[in-house]
Amino acid sequence: MKFTCNQTLPERAIHIALKGPDGACQRGDGSGCFIASNSATTPGDMTERGCTYAGCRGVVGGPVKDVIQLTHGPIGCAFFSWGYRPHLADSDFHMKYTFVSDMNETNIVFGGEKKLLQCIIEASNEFPEAKGVFIYNTCSTALIGDDGRDVAKQAEELIGKPVVFFECEGFKGVSQSMGHHVGNETIFRQLVGSVEPEGDFSRAINIIGDYNIKNDLRTFEYLFEAIGVKILTRFTGNVSVDELKIMHKATLNVVHCQRSATYIADMMRDKYGTPYINVTLWGIKHMSEALRATAAFFGLEAEAEAVIARELAAIQPKIDAYRQRLQGKTVFIYQGGPRAWHWIELLRELGMETMTAATTFGHDDDYQKIFDQLSPGALMVDNPNVPEIEEILRDRRPDLFISGNKEKYVAYKLGVPFVNGHTYDTGPYAGFVGMLNFARDIDKALHAPIWQTLRTRARPAPVAHHTSHGFEEVV
Amino acid sequence: MSYISKQERAVAINPTRSCAPIGAMLANYGIHGAITINHGSQGCATYPRHQMARHFREPVEVATTSLSEKTTVYGGKGNLLAALKNIVERFHPTLIMVCSTCLSETIGDDIPGVIDEFLDKHPEVTIPILSVKTPSYIGNHTTGFDNFLKEIANNLPERRKKKGETNGKINMIPGWVNPGDIRELKHILREMGLHGVWLTDYSETLDGGYYEPRPHVARGGTTIEELRSSSKSLATVALQRHVGGEAAHIYERRYNVPAHVLTMPIGLANTDALVDTLTEITDHPVPETLQVERARLLDALVDTHMFTTGLRVALYGDPDLLEGLVGLVAEMGMTPAYVLTAADNGPWGERMVELSEELGVESEIILKGDLHELHKRIKARPVDLLIGHSKGKFIADAERIPLLRVGFPVEDRFGYHRRAIVGYNGAIALVDEITNLIFERKASAVVSNTLLELGVEGPSNVPIAVCNGSAA
Ligand code: SF4
Ligand code: SF4
Repeated sequence: MKFTCNQTLPERAIHIALKGPDGACQRGDGSGCFIASNSATTPGDMTERGCTYAGCRGVVGGPVKDVIQLTHGPIGCAFFSWGYRPHLADSDFHMKYTFVSDMNETNIVFGGEKKLLQCIIEASNEFPEAKGVFIYNTCSTALIGDDGRDVAKQAEELIGKPVVFFECEGFKGVSQSMGHHVGNETIFRQLVGSVEPEGDFSRAINIIGDYNIKNDLRTFEYLFEAIGVKILTRFTGNVSVDELKIMHKATLNVVHCQRSATYIADMMRDKYGTPYINVTLWGIKHMSEALRATAAFFGLEAEAEAVIARELAAIQPKIDAYRQRLQGKTVFIYQGGPRAWHWIELLRELGMETMTAATTFGHDDDYQKIFDQLSPGALMVDNPNVPEIEEILRDRRPDLFISGNKEKYVAYKLGVPFVNGHTYDTGPYAGFVGMLNFARDIDKALHAPIWQTLRTRARPAPVAHHTSHGFEEVV
Repeated sequence: MSYISKQERAVAINPTRSCAPIGAMLANYGIHGAITINHGSQGCATYPRHQMARHFREPVEVATTSLSEKTTVYGGKGNLLAALKNIVERFHPTLIMVCSTCLSETIGDDIPGVIDEFLDKHPEVTIPILSVKTPSYIGNHTTGFDNFLKEIANNLPERRKKKGETNGKINMIPGWVNPGDIRELKHILREMGLHGVWLTDYSETLDGGYYEPRPHVARGGTTIEELRSSSKSLATVALQRHVGGEAAHIYERRYNVPAHVLTMPIGLANTDALVDTLTEITDHPVPETLQVERARLLDALVDTHMFTTGLRVALYGDPDLLEGLVGLVAEMGMTPAYVLTAADNGPWGERMVELSEELGVESEIILKGDLHELHKRIKARPVDLLIGHSKGKFIADAERIPLLRVGFPVEDRFGYHRRAIVGYNGAIALVDEITNLIFERKASAVVSNTLLELGVEGPSNVPIAVCNGSAA
């Protein structure tokens, strides 16, 4: 599979692979090697990737609901990461407020440590109800060598609350992925196990790697509770800093996003001996498996079967109705990481087949999971850039594109139906009931009358001529 | 008496402003076929793209040099050279603009030097490649836009071949506005029979249509040829002092094109000033259509004044936008009680104090302010209306005050990028929308076409049958 747009970018070939008719991997450079991933982006290739800070502040730290979310850096990093990812909770302080040390030129020249300390104190005076402070480092403050860890330590003594400093400067890794790692590692080191609560935790689990996007938790929390386990900590969605401190008490970690959060499950296993299981909380088969695996750990199999049977009875007729309408449609999924493999099965349950799967920051294990599930003839792309996405949409012509906000308008300009898999069009999409929302959104996207209107009534761009509108020529 | 106050906190809480590169990226979108390379780590390109996509609801493409840990140690030159090459070969742009970031500035990369080296190595590349400094620890998003315009003014125009040579056009620098505003300004020029060179024109590139097939290069944008000839224009009219004002002066100094730097044309008097200036430059009379629009604005102000007079308004955002808006707010009989900007801009503050005195209104002008500060002010002494971008919605929700969305970003409503707030038509739309927002407040009810204030003096047992929201 060669991309026309990559004629001048031969280095992209190893990031593109087709699953051959025999099920073998055919990589773009003609070799049979597996797809290359998690490596530096080609400069100027129009990548969709973000920075390490985004992975830490935006994904892992940001959902913690009762801390002051303070960016140590210039204004932009904080402004752009404020309030757009719907990692909801039962309170909204973390969504409504963003704090930034607002580095100016003098600070950059003479160092920002003093200002940072002052910022922490001021912020915690303004919001005494906050339970702690999370500080995220950015490129310039890292580069000038501010010792944020030390400032955090001083501040902690002064304000008497946890002050956690994340060394997540944007340039640290090749993508957001490094930021997840830093987020996990820092929360584990600074918070987890800092309190030893009393109580019976024999049936307590942590949900690891769910960020409560558009209240996803509502779709599966009650299922776990119904089989008789208790959710202690959600890492990190609708979670308080106090819950992070005690998450080591859980008996089992249930790991959902296995890219951004396996780190903490590994660290808890190594330090506290907490076992973990990998699950997917989207789709009928996977959600059922997740409940069964959790139940099996606690010997609650019968309860799990009862819960699953009850839920399926309620949704299966509706899913069947959607399947009839969606049967045979093809999909291009491009997500940050794991969702590209989480959803292949879910889409099959709706009668749809993934013909192209891509991720922004997936690692080898993510691509392995994608590859195993794809059918022969399907394509895999690592860190696709804008021209590649356009070429896929134009030439492979999927019936549906599932991706994020930035990509949405590319799809729309090319007349391809789209569902927002990052922040959800409506949501929640997880669990059994969430799948109905997902199916409804897909159905709406595919069957909206606008596509027919475009097919029959759209016209070519008029030829531009020189006018006072400042427009002269069409290339 | 109006007065200036300055927020003293070190920590910014809910800032009203973002950072410089996005301004340069936005401006570059107004050049036909141009591409931006953001020299820094990926976040500094991806975040602004995402933000622009949420505001304009269009595909927004910006390249990044993807600096990482290694490159920050050894410098970003190699990445920038590679990015330039890849962009040229793959996209065949008409112009490349390289903007810096906090990161590349702190490393100290010599971007103009790298561009020269690239052009030396690649003599076949003849397109202009501009370098715009946009570290955001200096200034804010408007600074990036302004620096971009200065680069254009300094580098692209060709000198006049002979004295007095003219293209008969007017350089129009709208500043940081929306596509809808640019279209309204074009309408004004067209009605006056004038031709503009737009610096820059993203009215179509960031508010495009659906075409089948999709054009290879987005329609619209000012062409390089137009920019080259902008030195031969009759005059430059800049509509924001801080975004383009300097560039207008560069045209005057370097190319002898007279500069007219005006207040953003929001409301009657400010639009009059623009139209008068255009008449002055060209001797073209004010056409009938604009006279009728102007009269219609006066009519709208008369029709609505009983609902707006005396209301207190809080405004926040960029200095030039605020300056223009305050004019309209005063024309509607309202008081701009709080006028808050993020910049620590003393001269602007003083001008705003003078302006408010001219207009006969009393304001607190807050410099270096953020939305948390504004919220505290509003809690202490409430206002009837908020005017600013989407991020003020948290205050609006908490205090149950209507929010008139203007400026950038407006991400939680549709179509605001398509609207105009400038010109007579823009003002009419604002007058209508402001009045309607007041009508829709929870604390009031509209009976037929009159307003009923709830919770005012008088007997409290009068049943109120008509009420916005829940029953009274
Ligand atoms: S580092 Fe600077 S340029 Fe980049 S997003 Fe942050 S503030 Fe903006
Ligand atoms: S400065 Fe660094 S941390 Fe901030 S947005 Fe840019 S890449 Fe990310």
